[in-house]
Amino acid sequence: MKIKEICEKLNAEVQVAGDPEREVTQAVAGDLLSFIMGTAAEGSAWVTIQAHLNVAAVAVLKDMPLIILASGRKAPRDLEERCTAENICVACVAESIFRTCSRLSELGIEG
Amino acid sequence: MAAPVCLEYRIEGNNFMTAGTASNNIKNTLKMLGIQSEVCRRAAVIAYEAEINLVIHANGGILKAVISEDRLEITAKDEGPGIPDIEQAMTEGYTTASNQAREMGFGAGMGLPNIKRNSDLFEIESTPGEGTMLKSTVFFNK
Ligand SMILES: Nc1ncnc2c1ncn2[C@@H]1O[C@H](COP(=O)(O)OP(=O)(O)OP(=O)(O)O)[C@@H](O)[C@H]1O
Ligand SMILES: [Mg+2]
Repeated sequence: MKIKEICEKLNAEVQVAGDPEREVTQAVAGDLLSFIMGTAAEGSAWVTIQAHLNVAAVAVLKDMPLIILASGRKAPRDLEERCTAENICVACVAESIFRTCSRLSELGIEG
Repeated sequence: MAAPVCLEYRIEGNNFMTAGTASNNIKNTLKMLGIQSEVCRRAAVIAYEAEINLVIHANGGILKAVISEDRLEITAKDEGPGIPDIEQAMTEGYTTASNQAREMGFGAGMGLPNIKRNSDLFEIESTPGEGTMLKSTVFFNK
C-alpha cells in the first residue's frame, strides 16, 4: 500500500511527507533501536513511541521510508528536519502502538 | 578496484545527536562504489552498532572502514573502560547502558550480537581500563 494511503487510513497527522507514493508492504514495531536494527526488513514501516534524532539514523540505515509515531508523540524539530532531508515520512497517530499495528494488519501490512 | 578505500571517523563520546552519521557515510560510500546491496545492508548494521557503542560505552573512539577488492573490514577502537567479561557482553540482553541511554531506546543488549550475526569474521579484544578493539569482516561475493 502507498505511504499516503496508509497515513489516510490511520488518520495520521503527517508531519513529514517523505515519499507518499512509495509502496510499503511490511511493518515493524518497537522502541529498542538495536532490536529494530537487528530485525526490521528493509523498506518496512516502523511504529514506535521513540521520537528523537536517533530514530532517523536507524530508519536511514535500514532504508525505512515511514516512521509512525504512536500514542500522540510528535517529532522534535531536529528529527523532523533530518527526515525531511532523507525523504522519510513521519506520521503521528493518537492511538497506541498496539492499536496502530492491528490497524496496519487490517490493511494487509505484514509483520 | 586498485587501492583499498579507507574511511576513518573520530566518534565523539556521549553525543547522541550525531550518532549514526559515520555509519551512514560508510553505507553510502559502499553503495557509491557499487558494492552488493546485501553487503551494504550488513555493513550498515555493523557500523551503526559499533559506532553507537563508542558513543554510549567508550567515551568515543575511532571507527574505520577499509574496502578492498574482496572484503570490507570495519574496526572500532577506543580507550574507554573496556569490557571485563566479553562472553557476558556478547550475550543477547546483557547491557550496562545508563538510564538516559535506555530511555532513548539504547540498551537492548543486542548491538554486539547484531554485529556478530552480520559478520563473516568477528574479533573483539578488550582490556579493562585500557580499551576495546572490535574488528568485523564481510567478504564480497560469498
Ligand atoms: N566499546 C565498548 N567499551 C566498553 N564496553 C562496551 C563496549 N561495547 C560494548 N560494551 C559492553 O557490552 C555490553 C553489550 O553491548 P551491546 O552493544 O551488545 O549492547 P548495548 O550497547 O548495551 O545495547 P544495544 O546495543 O542493544 O543498544 C554493553 O552494555 C557494555 O557493557
Ligand atoms: Mg550497543
